[in-house]
Amino acid sequence: MQSAKTEDEKLQMFFDGELAPEEEAAVRRSLEASPEGSAQLREWEQLRVAMRSVSAEWAGQIDSDALFARIEADLSAPVIPIDRPVPPPVFRKVPGGRERRVWGAAAIGFAAAAAIFLAVVASPGSAPQKGSPDIARGSEVLEVDFGANTGTIFEVEGGAGESLAVVWIDDEEVGLP
Amino acid sequence: MTLIRDLLLFGVLLGASTASAQGSSLARSDRAATVSRVPAEVLVVLAKEEPGEIDPQLKKLTALRRPPFNSFRSMQILSRPKLTLTPGKDALVSLPNGRRVKLTLLRVMPDGRYKVKAAINRPDKSDYLPLLQVVASAGDPFFVAGQTYQGGTLVVGVIVDPKKTTQ
Repeated sequence: MQSAKTEDEKLQMFFDGELAPEEEAAVRRSLEASPEGSAQLREWEQLRVAMRSVSAEWAGQIDSDALFARIEADLSAPVIPIDRPVPPPVFRKVPGGRERRVWGAAAIGFAAAAAIFLAVVASPGSAPQKGSPDIARGSEVLEVDFGANTGTIFEVEGGAGESLAVVWIDDEEVGLP
Repeated sequence: MTLIRDLLLFGVLLGASTASAQGSSLARSDRAATVSRVPAEVLVVLAKEEPGEIDPQLKKLTALRRPPFNSFRSMQILSRPKLTLTPGKDALVSLPNGRRVKLTLLRVMPDGRYKVKAAINRPDKSDYLPLLQVVASAGDPFFVAGQTYQGGTLVVGVIVDPKKTTQ
């Protein structure tokens, strides 16, 4: 007993002309045995003729020699690099235990880095010290009220490169009370 | 099992890091809370554009040789009073022109710098500098300049915790 799929495959091969002559004759007899099959057979024949006609027409329009000459010329031409943005790398998923090991190693690395960073930067032993580059140095103005005067705020560099605040207010000389 | 072991190790390390950071934060906040008295120094300098002597004590204070101070050719220290700043309490320093510098330590910042409020006025007046708030690290001065005095200009430098100065 043949399955529907097998029958479909056989019909497809019949349409494509790929069946052996005896198989093709058997399929043709089977189709011609019923009115629906005969109609289907005529339809396929018309379709096959039409496709052959179009194919022959296209083939006549194409200069195959010129086409192959162009392909060969393109293949032998020197490669010119083109500056294009490099696409981002595609992440490859590592399956199974290897994936776990990779994740675990990354986690350990992150934790170790965090531990070292916090231990060095934020440990009690590293309280603010003079000369340490990551400690706030110098002085800066947070708020100023010049009153009725006008003034200017400067920043001047100190001996260690720190920024020192200067508030400059001009005024008339005042007399001693 | 490898994943579980890695996760446990990660947690232990992260926990240790957090504990370390919290301990540090507590230590610093304790320091901020327990600071009760901080030494300070007020440097009163008379600067003039006429050529003259720069007080040798000022030579280490390189900031005074840079703008806006570099137009002065002579600098004389008029006084250098030392005082103690107590949080919330005013400390007064008299200037030669009759004004007074009022300094108040407001707090110690988490980064160790001092937040200081300053004012320079005649007694019971607010004729010059009603309010100035600065943060300054130990030993690093801030300056108030511009008062005219005896043909020159007064430069007032305030240094909190001057023993730590590197100037």
